[in-house]
Amino acid sequence: MVTESAAHEIEQRPEPVSRPKILADGVMGMLLFVFAEIMMFAGLISAHRIVRSQVAGEMWPPYGQPRLPVQETAVNTAALLVSGIVLVFAHLAFKKEASRARLPILIALLLGLVFVVSQGAEWVALLGEGLTIQSSTYGGFFYLIVGAHGLHAIAAILALGWASFELYKGRLTGSQLATVSVFWYFVVLLWPVLYLIVYL
Amino acid sequence: MNRAWIPVLVLAVLAVFPDVVHACPVCFDARDENRQAFLATTAFLSLLPLGMVAGAGLWLRKRTKEIDAEIDSETPSDR
Repeated sequence: MVTESAAHEIEQRPEPVSRPKILADGVMGMLLFVFAEIMMFAGLISAHRIVRSQVAGEMWPPYGQPRLPVQETAVNTAALLVSGIVLVFAHLAFKKEASRARLPILIALLLGLVFVVSQGAEWVALLGEGLTIQSSTYGGFFYLIVGAHGLHAIAAILALGWASFELYKGRLTGSQLATVSVFWYFVVLLWPVLYLIVYL
Repeated sequence: MNRAWIPVLVLAVLAVFPDVVHACPVCFDARDENRQAFLATTAFLSLLPLGMVAGAGLWLRKRTKEIDAEIDSETPSDR
């Protein structure tokens, strides 16, 4: 039984203040996933660094192995970086009016596709030149690191494709776009690091 | 009994022991470049997760303070 004084005390209490979420659940989940993926790539980069340091006479790429197409990949790198910048504009446009983000998201998606298709064509050419995953540790690390990034790029394209579809249907929310964007930025920002380590 | 010396002793054992049992790739390698690679990657893999967690923690702290300030400015003061 509540006494009169207790009831009065309850009435006097201030209304609880509802705190907005610091981060959307999806974004938080994606950030945790990206942290784990960063550690995976850090492990691969470290292994690459150690194996490279063990090669006698600092001969890297090893004798008899084809050279990687540094300049062609630089163009792909630029395409991927531009896609990241375009996605920033898409995000800003979405905040003003959702439908304004359609075109920049589509451009980012196309640039991502250009990157993946160009990388695929590069792989076909390198396989033709004799660089395979078993031809040397050089080939092994190339296909492992670049391939792992390529799989992430494909996943990012699928995610952004889904976001684009949802946007056209008028169902995309800000937190969904932010979640997909976090993954896209991860793929975009990781690539220059991998390019410097693997290609140069 | 003063046990303040225990952490120092543990640290000394941890620092010296790998050296004694030759279990430290950073300590023994004929090639200086290889030794440096081990050292650099050990530091990289040790500091990267700490940096990410610290960065996330600092950002969350900053964001919480911003939200608190927004709530304070919206709610009327009882003073």
